[in-house]
Amino acid sequence: MDEITLLRRLREDRNPTDESVTRGRAALFNKINAVAPKERVTTARRRFTLAGLGAAGAFAIVGVLVATNVLGFGGWRGGADAAAAAVLERAAVAAMTFEDAPLAAGQYLRVSSQTVHVTDGQEQNGPVIAFRIKESSELYVPADRSDDWVWVREPISVVDVLTPGGEPMVERFYPSGAQAGDPELLRAPFGSFYGNTAESQWGDFASMPRDPYRLLNHIYLTTIGAGSSPDGEALVFIADTLRQGTAPADLRAALLRAAAMIPGVTITDDQATLDGQTGTAIGRVESENGLRQEIIIDPTSGRLIGEREVAVVAIPESSIAAGDVWRWSSVHTSVVDAAPAGGTPNGASDLAGCVPGERPGEMYCPPEDKK
Amino acid sequence: MSEDSDIIRRSGATPAAFAELYDRYARAVFRYAAGRVGNGHADDIMSETFLVAFERRESFDITIGDARPWLFGIATTLMRKHSRVEAKAWKGLVAHGAAAVPDDAIEAIGSRIDAEFAVKAIAAALRKMPTRDRDALLLYAWADLDYEGVAQALQIPVGTVRSRLNRARRTLRAASHRGSTPDQEVEHGRNNVAAETA
Repeated sequence: MDEITLLRRLREDRNPTDESVTRGRAALFNKINAVAPKERVTTARRRFTLAGLGAAGAFAIVGVLVATNVLGFGGWRGGADAAAAAVLERAAVAAMTFEDAPLAAGQYLRVSSQTVHVTDGQEQNGPVIAFRIKESSELYVPADRSDDWVWVREPISVVDVLTPGGEPMVERFYPSGAQAGDPELLRAPFGSFYGNTAESQWGDFASMPRDPYRLLNHIYLTTIGAGSSPDGEALVFIADTLRQGTAPADLRAALLRAAAMIPGVTITDDQATLDGQTGTAIGRVESENGLRQEIIIDPTSGRLIGEREVAVVAIPESSIAAGDVWRWSSVHTSVVDAAPAGGTPNGASDLAGCVPGERPGEMYCPPEDKK
Repeated sequence: MSEDSDIIRRSGATPAAFAELYDRYARAVFRYAAGRVGNGHADDIMSETFLVAFERRESFDITIGDARPWLFGIATTLMRKHSRVEAKAWKGLVAHGAAAVPDDAIEAIGSRIDAEFAVKAIAAALRKMPTRDRDALLLYAWADLDYEGVAQALQIPVGTVRSRLNRARRTLRAASHRGSTPDQEVEHGRNNVAAETA
């Protein structure tokens, strides 16, 4: 290895946190908004709103790299240990066998999900306050996916404040009780909410191979350059996709089998409790960030209970101790005969009278006097 | 995919279009900066780079399709005020040594001890290197710019880039191979200098 190659390798695995990317983007928008009045063509002050979809970013497809049938590096470097592979295989079989009862016309697949994760905030020059928030939603996927999907997103609520004394600031960020606001009600064909395409929002399921080996390589190519390490990011991609609950059963099975091919995947907790349910946690420690990504599976039925990230080392700035859960998501799917009425493609932005910009996810909103 | 210059031109009338540039390159700018000034400062450099770029978007030469040299050039300038932090970061790398090297790279180098030695040598050489040579080298190796791109970023002629990079590489090579036999200087990374002919 020559010196330039070695120098290049030293820079690898450095990635900004999602929070810092979001903060940077927000700072840029502040600047953009500050100049906008001088250049405005309409009377409304321009305000830029981003669709608040963390998961969507996970599906940014890396263009031409996503060649199908590529012989890549998945499957060649060992895989999960035998016990973890067995649990994943049972879950894969369960996905194929028990789940996804065919929907009759007019029926919906209802995906109820909850996510609790650590975040932080800061006011002016005040201290950074870490706290945990909960996001929950119910997604109604129609039998014919080109029909209207309905998505009810509950307002974000605060679970607890981790930094001592941070409660007043957090209350200003996320008012509790009656101030919290109403759920956001969205409705759009193909699930193309917030101006996103169905593929960018939920994942391009059609392009994902069902052969686990090819799928894993597809995932490596799709996530190349993202996350802390290729193996870690592949598992995150799998967990993200499973968590959404919208992937068809054959793809879910393939995702679970692909997870069994990722080196370093083991049973990390055989009594993992998540949202009141206990299951087997299968995961991998990401040495770069000290987090362990896990998929949690009901050992009897093979049903996916959810996924979570556990801190394996303390994160003092967020008041997180080693072994604390950094983030968890549970997902539960069922078949229902009806979905709530109402809703628009952009939910709250439509109610606020915003108009879409020229790019997906971009909205121009009237001045916010009433905030 | 539209060219960067199209985005910048559109951002004249539609400022929000500029955000697309951020989505394309923010992470790359972060990675470049993180290697030099650490993750904490890299967050700021990433953010500031795009604020400055947005302010100066009219100065961008739209005959150049790729905005990366321009952005990395801004990031490089912004990092000059962190030179003390950067010096500390190189010292840190000397101290941490092989801990910074990915495992498979250690295998390629031979052993952890070899990697330790090589990294310490590189870090020490980088720390002592003149800023202008280091900027050229890191834009090339960490920002993945070619010679032309480095020239645009630093606003210097491409011939100057060549000589700075040659000097920097010689310094690195001398440092990392000190004490080893010359035939270990086989250039496995030859393809990395393909841009030299561009």
